[in-house]
Amino acid sequence: MSAVPQPAGVSADACAPGKLLYGEILEFLYREAALLDNNEFAAWVELCAEDIHYVMPVRTTQFRARGAGFEEVSFFDENINSLRTRVARLQTESAWAETPPSRTRHFLTNVLVKATDRPDEFAVAANFLVTRTRAEQAYQMFAGRREDLLRRVAPSEYQIARRRILVDQTVITSTNLSVFF
Amino acid sequence: MANERMSGAATQTRTRLASGEDLEHIVRPEEGLISRRIFTDPEIYERELERIFGRAWFFIGHESEIPERGDIVARQCGVDPVILVRDQSGVVRAFLNSCRHRGMRLCRTDRDNATTLRCPYHGWSYSTSGELLAASSEHHYGPGELDKAQLGLIPVTRLGSYRGLVFGSWDPAAPSLEEWLGDMRWYLDIIFGRTGEIEFVGVPQIWDVECAWKFATDNFTDNFHVYWTHQSLVELGMLPSDPDFASHGHMVTLNNGHILHFVQGPPIEAFQGLGLPKLLWPRFKEHLNPAQAQIAQAHGYSAGTMWPNFHWLQLVTAGDTKSEPVGILNLRLEIPLSPTRTRMYSWFAIDKAAPPDYRKISYETYVRCFGPSGIFDQDDMENWEECTAAARGPAAKRYTLHHKMGIGRPPDATWPGPGTSYGDSYGEMTQRAWYAEWLRRMRQPAHAPSAVQRPRARAAS
Repeated sequence: MSAVPQPAGVSADACAPGKLLYGEILEFLYREAALLDNNEFAAWVELCAEDIHYVMPVRTTQFRARGAGFEEVSFFDENINSLRTRVARLQTESAWAETPPSRTRHFLTNVLVKATDRPDEFAVAANFLVTRTRAEQAYQMFAGRREDLLRRVAPSEYQIARRRILVDQTVITSTNLSVFF
Repeated sequence: MANERMSGAATQTRTRLASGEDLEHIVRPEEGLISRRIFTDPEIYERELERIFGRAWFFIGHESEIPERGDIVARQCGVDPVILVRDQSGVVRAFLNSCRHRGMRLCRTDRDNATTLRCPYHGWSYSTSGELLAASSEHHYGPGELDKAQLGLIPVTRLGSYRGLVFGSWDPAAPSLEEWLGDMRWYLDIIFGRTGEIEFVGVPQIWDVECAWKFATDNFTDNFHVYWTHQSLVELGMLPSDPDFASHGHMVTLNNGHILHFVQGPPIEAFQGLGLPKLLWPRFKEHLNPAQAQIAQAHGYSAGTMWPNFHWLQLVTAGDTKSEPVGILNLRLEIPLSPTRTRMYSWFAIDKAAPPDYRKISYETYVRCFGPSGIFDQDDMENWEECTAAARGPAAKRYTLHHKMGIGRPPDATWPGPGTSYGDSYGEMTQRAWYAEWLRRMRQPAHAPSAVQRPRARAAS
């Protein structure tokens, strides 16, 4: 990893809402969401680190004592090559699930940033609501929590090193999962 | 509702629909003519619930999903919710997921491990083998009011397993599972026994699609959609650019509507031996007979349907543009929620003998290519929804679909396996056989004792 200028003292306090670092990360998340909503997938995948793990575990209904129900089996289990392949697929003329494209809206709230033991990496949690509609279809919606590991690669510039998509639904009520989270 | 009437042809029962059409006229599998009406019509759907989902054999789960005593998964048998459980003595059982008292759903999680099942409504509790252990406040029942021996959980009427696949039927007169599967067992041995045992890995992916269930089932032995529906992967170089690439194989139709195909992939090592690692190939000869071993060795792809709605997909593909192809075993089930809404189940399974690195890459490739996020599957669901959407109107329902490919093709007697086989794996003989079974069952009178082809029983006097 090349040395990157770090904000002075990455303390827990420095990551708090209202602080410069928090604002920088929030702006990154909003820019990233805008790329997805604007179908700028090639630019979006550039924000993914070479060592990214992008995963969306299947969820099951469990009694509270057995945990939150996130399973080993996933809906997405991606590395950089598979994400690039998904993006390249969307650039073809024949990825019918997204040709013509869906219209999506990524809403992020409840963003919390935590420092990690690496000065250039931050654990970022957020609630998400992703709406999707295609053709004349009613909205399909996905709500959940996203747990990211963001890596600061330059001032105000981040890469997504991990993304864990913790969806609320046990049964996905959507045609497919042809959209990114 | 439909009613049966005698047509002009003596003894030929016709099934008159509310539209005024006869079912036998609008569904003519032997001619490859299938009415769009059957995909969206509520009258047809109601008939399917009774004559198909109330009577056929249905996949419930795999024994490897409940390895320990007390393991439970909540599933469906047909369209009814069931509990699949390994009881405290190790026996696999399945019960209607409903308390005998007020009918409350008993198992309300997707999976669990338990010694007893207690109803949250009034506290009735059952053993994992289904006996009613206790009702609450029993002293308020008078003599003879609570016959606990008669109030065990309602078992799935017929339960059986083959190669760890657990099937159930609600028809007391259904034939045995072995009889119903018939020659399909010979092919299930290849898919589920080629290297020893197969295990299902983890829970299924489940998702609801706004499509008629039959558009999904129709797709699973359809080879010639692959080039067009999955054209994006041709564009990316992940599928061959030859439009006939999936045509080099055989289609097979069996009794009771079971259908399958085996397809040779490109002539490279990755597409032999069902895409399994080479070190597992010697096991074919240990676990299969010579004809089965030869089929496993010579093919890359296979799909089969245990009529009506349970499928295997044995595939060879890479998960991205930079990786090498690997074999994947994917199991699929479609359960209708309404005429035009279907719940999809997708499981990943693997040979217990598979080495860990292959296990990992096969799983990752499965997730990337199949299921709701799969770069293959995404486009299939798009098709099924759009076929359904276009079949809703009264005008569309007057027209048939086209299932004529290969209708005049003679069988290929050189195929080493059972059933009727056809060379050239582009053809709709499998779908025609599926719809023939569908029509046979849909024409049966209400409450027919059994729906499976068997030697004619002696007529009751």
